[in-house]
Amino acid sequence: MSVSAVSGGRKRLSEGLTVTQKVFVRSRNGGATKIVREHYLRNDIPCLSRSCSICPTIVVPDAKNELPKFVLSESPQDLKNIGKHYTVLDTNIVLQAIDLLENPNCFFDVIVPQIVLDEVRNKSYPVYTRLRNLCRDSDGKKRFIVFHNEFSEATFVERLKDESINDRNDRAIRKTCEWYLDHLAKSEIKIILVSNDRLNRISASDEKFITKSLYEYVELLPNSDEVKESMPNLDSSQYNKDAESINEFSYPEFYPTSRIMGGLKNGSLFQGNIQISEYNFLEGSVNIPSFSRPVLVVGQKNLNRAFNGDQVIVELLPESQWKAPSTVALDAEHYDVNDNPENDNEVDANLIADSQRRLLAENAITAQKSNKVQPTARVVAIPRRSWRQYVGQIAPNSVDTQTGGTQNVFVILMDKCLPKIRIRTRRATELLSKRIVVSIDSWPSNHKFPLGHFVRNLGGVEEAQAETEALLLEHDVEYRPFSKKVLECLPEEGHDWKAPVDLKSQDAIAKDPLLQKRVDLRDKLICSIDPPGCVDIDDALHAKKLPNGHFEVGVHIADVTHFVKAGTPLDAEGASRGTSVYLVDKRIDMLPMLLGTDLCSLKPYVDRFAFSVIWELDENADIVKVDFSKSVIRSREAFSYEQAQLRIDDKNQTDELTLGMRALLDLSIKLKQKRLDAGALNLASPEVKVHMDSETSDPGEVEIKKLLATNSLVEEFMLLANISVARKIYDSFPQTAMLRRHAAPPSTNFEILNEMLQKRKGLSISLESSKALADSLDRCVDKKDPYFNTLVRIMSTRCMMAAQYFYSGAYSYSDFRHYGLAVDIYTHFTSPIRRYCDVVAHRQLAGAIGYEPLDLSHRDKNKMEMICKNINRRHRNAQFAGRASIEYYVGQVMRNNESVETGYVIKVLNNGIVVIVPKFGVEGLIRLENLTKDTSSANFDEVDFKLTFTQIDTGKQREIHVFDKVEVQLKSVLDPVTSKRKAELLLK
Amino acid sequence: MSRFELYSPEGLRLDGRRWNELRRFECSINTHAHASDGSSYLEQGNNKIVTLVKGPQEPILRSQLDATKASLNITVNITKFSKMERSKSSHKNERRVLEMQTALVRTFEKNVMLHLYPRTLIDIEIHVLQQDGGILGSLINSITLALIDSGIAMYDYVSAISIGLYDTTPLLDVNTLEENAMSTVTLGVIGKSEKLSLLSVEDKIPLDRLESVLAIGIAGAHRVRELMDNELRKHAAHRVAKSSAK
Ligand SMILES: [Zn+2]
Repeated sequence: MSVSAVSGGRKRLSEGLTVTQKVFVRSRNGGATKIVREHYLRNDIPCLSRSCSICPTIVVPDAKNELPKFVLSESPQDLKNIGKHYTVLDTNIVLQAIDLLENPNCFFDVIVPQIVLDEVRNKSYPVYTRLRNLCRDSDGKKRFIVFHNEFSEATFVERLKDESINDRNDRAIRKTCEWYLDHLAKSEIKIILVSNDRLNRISASDEKFITKSLYEYVELLPNSDEVKESMPNLDSSQYNKDAESINEFSYPEFYPTSRIMGGLKNGSLFQGNIQISEYNFLEGSVNIPSFSRPVLVVGQKNLNRAFNGDQVIVELLPESQWKAPSTVALDAEHYDVNDNPENDNEVDANLIADSQRRLLAENAITAQKSNKVQPTARVVAIPRRSWRQYVGQIAPNSVDTQTGGTQNVFVILMDKCLPKIRIRTRRATELLSKRIVVSIDSWPSNHKFPLGHFVRNLGGVEEAQAETEALLLEHDVEYRPFSKKVLECLPEEGHDWKAPVDLKSQDAIAKDPLLQKRVDLRDKLICSIDPPGCVDIDDALHAKKLPNGHFEVGVHIADVTHFVKAGTPLDAEGASRGTSVYLVDKRIDMLPMLLGTDLCSLKPYVDRFAFSVIWELDENADIVKVDFSKSVIRSREAFSYEQAQLRIDDKNQTDELTLGMRALLDLSIKLKQKRLDAGALNLASPEVKVHMDSETSDPGEVEIKKLLATNSLVEEFMLLANISVARKIYDSFPQTAMLRRHAAPPSTNFEILNEMLQKRKGLSISLESSKALADSLDRCVDKKDPYFNTLVRIMSTRCMMAAQYFYSGAYSYSDFRHYGLAVDIYTHFTSPIRRYCDVVAHRQLAGAIGYEPLDLSHRDKNKMEMICKNINRRHRNAQFAGRASIEYYVGQVMRNNESVETGYVIKVLNNGIVVIVPKFGVEGLIRLENLTKDTSSANFDEVDFKLTFTQIDTGKQREIHVFDKVEVQLKSVLDPVTSKRKAELLLK
Repeated sequence: MSRFELYSPEGLRLDGRRWNELRRFECSINTHAHASDGSSYLEQGNNKIVTLVKGPQEPILRSQLDATKASLNITVNITKFSKMERSKSSHKNERRVLEMQTALVRTFEKNVMLHLYPRTLIDIEIHVLQQDGGILGSLINSITLALIDSGIAMYDYVSAISIGLYDTTPLLDVNTLEENAMSTVTLGVIGKSEKLSLLSVEDKIPLDRLESVLAIGIAGAHRVRELMDNELRKHAAHRVAKSSAK
């Protein structure tokens, strides 16, 4: 939204520093503001080429007293007919071909002009980060540098009268090329400007440096065939001759920015993030703050190329086209355009004036309140794309296996909410039935499907390794091994690291001055209780009866922050990963193994550093006082839940450790009761565990997770520790304390479930308070079917809000509340090995008790905001990845044993029913076609949640209601189109 | 998220300066000789400030009269057009402005020899024509210049500068964009010493970083003092030349 110009008048300040004024006119919200900023030009900006003899004499050190590194090689790549060359990039090349730039086999010695970097940063922050990383990490091999052309006296250009900002920036890039060519004339290194902008190339044609389009440049490379595979697919007209793809189909063009700004201001357009329905990929919903419920976007043309998660601008459709959310299931893989009724739905919405549109918005709000009809809208612009790399496989029917050579094929993505991608490859035949990674480049309006390019082959479909990698990529989980820089931050001693025996020894204190502040708790009878086979033990407990009848209870958490210091590469890696990810056959660690399973694992019989929370609890388990300290502990025993249970139950054991464990169990029962009395929820999710055969590591059987009393023993004290720590860090850092909240669910979330319960069972769920909700859930029982209660709990869980991490300055105290746990303030402190939130909480607690000063990044609201945003996302992705992994393995188990199981109907649709099978924790859609031969005779009753149809085998009428208990035949089928194995259910 | 890199890995700031470089600093004194007893005009980057000193004179109000020393009164007028966007209010009774006035009075009370002028009022009036970050520091510099012009006795120069902390790098003499994006410290330094007459910290600065911030701040303030001193000597030489020519 800004137009920039530079007014003349440079002023020399001192040797090598000149100042000028940058004058902009910025229009925002209709008004125009003149902005004047100083702009300093200098002559100490080096070319960073090793072949240069001038620049090393002019460089100046930075704040850390380091001189810039000269990165560009003196003998860069030698191309036929051109010779040795450096490459200069244009903005559009970076934005379109960042994958190619990262390719280790091409693009060496690259100069990124500052103006390009700035433009990239404004257009796409993720691409900017990748480009910056290339410049930071590529000094050995790829050699990318940023040249600050805007600050260099020699290359700065002033905007001419009547010159557009883009033209001025293109000219700035050309000026940079020119300067480099002159500057390096002695060394005979050529400059190639790579740009896809034809006008820019033409303007440059009378200059001395060489300009090439990306395609032309890649053609020049000795390994061009290989590199071309990952070329971005931008516009078919350029080097794509087949007309097959370009049919008459076209999407509505996006509105120009000016119209969007105006529309948003006068209330005729709305902005929000679009969410594509899980069941129907041609239906999306957009949450708009002024509307109580999401606005629907239905049909391909109305969706207008929006991807799940994109930020979109929408415009309401006329009232006659409003509708209820669809009760039809539709997924991208089986979808064929010709069957789609929505296609005819296209409206020329431009006929409606803005004033009418505002009236429409008012009607929409009332309509939402009164009945089920939802306002619908269409997408008119997409300001921000959520595009990333996607995993999928080539659609076999789109491949011509006879002719070799390059061809266009479709890639079907694993995420069924997304359309298929068209890519161009010559390895189509070879890549059939392989999981491949693709990247999306563009979606021109005359293409029905987005254009992308091939990035990488992961391996065959249903090969465990390829599937795991696909899953990790799909959920954006970083799984590459830790880099050398990260591993260098670990203690030199490695596995031989030992806690000092004597905390007062001068040698040890000399090495770690903070040691004096550590408390020696090695005399306490501490033990840990975890699942069997647990290797990363991050918590341990102890309890002791005090003379006054009270109890001393301690929770000891591995002191991860002793090893992970803020600001180190190790910390950055942990912060970026955010959490460990648990898959059925694999664990992706947040921190390197050495810490997780050894130095920070509170293993028995060895001294370990810990962060201890020690309470004095009275006989009612009320807190009398609490103390926090960094400590040294020695765990006496590592129990599994079962072993602990046996030890506690064994009456013959009367040693102090067992007495302590019994006290812990008693107290934990009291704590739990208090929590439930306060209204803590006990929600259920169908959690299953897949047993792996230890020899072949093939999945064996599926089991629903069991809970023992000792499970909740540990859990209760972890909750207590988290609450106590939350209070303490909020007290010391009221603006930036790392906390976790869980909002109360809005009543609209429960509307449908309540209606179902009311209609079918005469029950209801109260939303007055968490206590009322908990009580009403307890009342949801069906005497004939004990599982019914669990089913309602599972369905309620899906209506709840997700808990989230936040920093205390972001909400007012009353909004800190954790609804599910029924406490006013909460954080995560007890698993710093596998969650980054806990790492931050540890540092803040250490700061709060004066152990060591808190790092700046945890005291700064903006940085905390970034941390919270990232760990929330990572946490969600990790959950999805874990579930997807279970789903995959459950499919593998079912593959070998088809069976008939009990299921429950949880949703009734127009063209099918959704059934959940508790034994495997799977749910699936049974399509109407698989229920009856005569689909036209089927009748869907929306009010009663009832589907009536003629049964296939018996020919009798059958009614299915929601909540019905049904027998289903369960088998696992490999979908021929998506190559995804899923549970197929058939009604018995 | 800022639109630009506040401090690039190559060590350049938003406006092209390096971490330890001052903005353009230009000043002159005796700019309003008829309207006041001492005056100055200062441009520090895009901060443009006019300062007028009136007095020592007889106080208008009896409450301003102190039998042992002069009273010091400082009024800061931030014009409506001084920022990018024209503001509606006249900033007159804004808390930020009142706070600034108090800070300025406290700073100069200790540096002006007020006891030499009992029962009088020294009235300082400041007009901020344009502002672009680090305004408090610029105000102090402009007052120092105007007081010297007025001939009121002072112990030494007070020169001031703002320093921002970007991650772990201190940035000298911040502009508005930088000031809005990071914690800043304003220092007032007495003469060539390392004595501070003012230390104002906006937001939090970690204690372990304060030392490096102060070090570059003091060096920057000394440089400002030098620039003011050069200007004053030039002006003095010019005046001497003019009066001896008569
Ligand atoms: Zn050079």
